[in-house]
Amino acid sequence: MDFEFTEEHLAIKKSAIRFAQKALSDGMIERDRDGVFSRELWRKCADFGIQGSAFPQEYGGSDADILSTMLLMEGLGYGCKDSGLIFAINGQMWTVQMPILRFGSDAQKDRYLPKLCSGEWIGAHGMTEPDSGSDAFSLSTTAKLEGDYYVLNGTKTFSTNAPMADVFMVFATVDKRKGFMGVTGFIVEKDFPGFSVGKDIGKMGLRTAPMAELILEDCRVPVENRLGKEGNGAAIFEDAIEWERSCILASLLGGMERQLERCIEYAKERKQFGKPIGKYQSVANKIVDMKVRMETARLILYKVAWMKQAHGKATMEAAIAKLYLSESWIKSCLDAIQIHGGYGYTTEFELERDLRDSVASTLYSGTSEIQRNIIARFLGL
Amino acid sequence: MKVLEDVEKILLTEIAVDLGRESLDPDEDLLAQRIIDSLGVVRLIVSLEKAFGIEVIDEEVVPENFQSLNSLVEYVEQKMRNK
Repeated sequence: MDFEFTEEHLAIKKSAIRFAQKALSDGMIERDRDGVFSRELWRKCADFGIQGSAFPQEYGGSDADILSTMLLMEGLGYGCKDSGLIFAINGQMWTVQMPILRFGSDAQKDRYLPKLCSGEWIGAHGMTEPDSGSDAFSLSTTAKLEGDYYVLNGTKTFSTNAPMADVFMVFATVDKRKGFMGVTGFIVEKDFPGFSVGKDIGKMGLRTAPMAELILEDCRVPVENRLGKEGNGAAIFEDAIEWERSCILASLLGGMERQLERCIEYAKERKQFGKPIGKYQSVANKIVDMKVRMETARLILYKVAWMKQAHGKATMEAAIAKLYLSESWIKSCLDAIQIHGGYGYTTEFELERDLRDSVASTLYSGTSEIQRNIIARFLGL
Repeated sequence: MKVLEDVEKILLTEIAVDLGRESLDPDEDLLAQRIIDSLGVVRLIVSLEKAFGIEVIDEEVVPENFQSLNSLVEYVEQKMRNK
């Protein structure tokens, strides 16, 4: 078993770090305070190749394997302080682009993937509804076939990127009696009749990734914009979420590494009672725990990458990774603030923003409770 | 016959254990009865792949293949023939 990354892989991560540190982190305090999404930074990321990294060259991507993509995301998480931007990009890549790539017709791939990979268009995902969150497939949005169109009716909430998105992956049921197997995926463009984006939803963190409701009132979607077969929506969604759980966490790993290094540096420099605070066990132990969590998280994450590359599926392992990494990221953020004392609480030190951003990680892509449910099922419980 | 018995056993002992049943009606609607739910279907796919040496691709996770025990059996047998 070889635990070393190749030189090529390490170069990918280093390149992402350099790019992110140079291009993506300016003005972060203000952008977070004002909840500003930066289209300019989105384009820079696309030009660097992030949105297209895991996608075929024929659509403007770079055909990177999953391990390379995860290392790219890890580098991004390390070098970029804008967790909202990273979250927004990952949301589009795994829950809009990847379903189109894996389940779309040639016409759908040709129409949407180049624009999404290039950064020209922005994609958003519409699954969660006011009355169906964790119980995602009990959704109420309906899709009724009328001639050459499906007519969709319903409301989606918590749709990241929605206020600025051009295209939406929306899930609706064609037959409520079939439960989760009535759920069907649709590609909805912002100008389709009957479609609108509702009010922005204010959030605790990830404030540079705006979020809003989607409103479908007799929204007419051409039959050719159905993704996959009727009733295939649940499988499409589960596939997308597994990709998201696997890859979005890589950026959290980068964030943990960044925080760890910062805490080590601070613990060496900051002196109290005549010696560096890192010499006190109560501080050193916190940093040790950050290190242990980070290394454990890395092992779990890259095992998922290996499994997806080798076997295609890693459902339980992705749930384990999501559960562990998200909860570790929050603990890392709390420890980083505690180690920095009063300064950690200030806006200027930017650690409080990491904590506010981190809380969402146990909620999106399935809550920690749902991850535990999934793992329990695989354990036969 | 063996495939039907094996699939039924997987459903009753791994997927829908809480039902506490000893058999399934071959035409019983597994989806409407929530014998297979969204978490259970993932587990079911893993079990079917392991038990029968088939690969279930996501495009085939549709009601026609999972609606009843009979439709599951038909699906598995077709996959085994096409291996």
